[in-house]
Amino acid sequence: MAKIFAKNLSNKQVMATDGSEVGILFNIVMDIKSSRLVSLVIKPDMALDISKYKQEGEYIILPFESVRAIKDYIVIDKAIAKGKKAPQNEQVDI
Amino acid sequence: MLTEMTSLFGLNVYTNSGTYVGKVSDLVLDINERKVRGLAISEINKDLFDINEKGVIIPYRWVITAADIVLIRDIFANFKKKTNTEEKEV
Repeated sequence: MAKIFAKNLSNKQVMATDGSEVGILFNIVMDIKSSRLVSLVIKPDMALDISKYKQEGEYIILPFESVRAIKDYIVIDKAIAKGKKAPQNEQVDI
Repeated sequence: MLTEMTSLFGLNVYTNSGTYVGKVSDLVLDINERKVRGLAISEINKDLFDINEKGVIIPYRWVITAADIVLIRDIFANFKKKTNTEEKEV
């Protein structure tokens, strides 16, 4: 399960852990040298409020750390996707 | 160096000694490790791969760099040396 072909992911639907639609995967940004997967480039859903996400033209950029699972859908954690501040605040609360 | 994955598709793959290996047709991703594990290569150089398959998957650790072409370590030279020494031993 852990190994996936990149072309299988193209145009895959992206969902958040709260069940809401985020959009459709457009591209993945990787680091050539370290082979690390860095971020997802997503064409956002019409209903999504993109103001809290990092934007690049018509697309939004989510850090790859926000990915929770990839199978029939790509599931992302919105708190991590909106930036690193959100999970840090949660840790302080705990 | 950060690159969008789709920009790698279709790039020619060469070894650092200049041998054509093939074309990048896909990437193998390890989601748990958040890493690229391999390159799926099509239109392979039949002189390097003595197989009838359409393509091969090579481990990403062989990749030196990638921009206009993908450059990989010349592991094929090692294979040739090994077979030569084996022949000598025989």
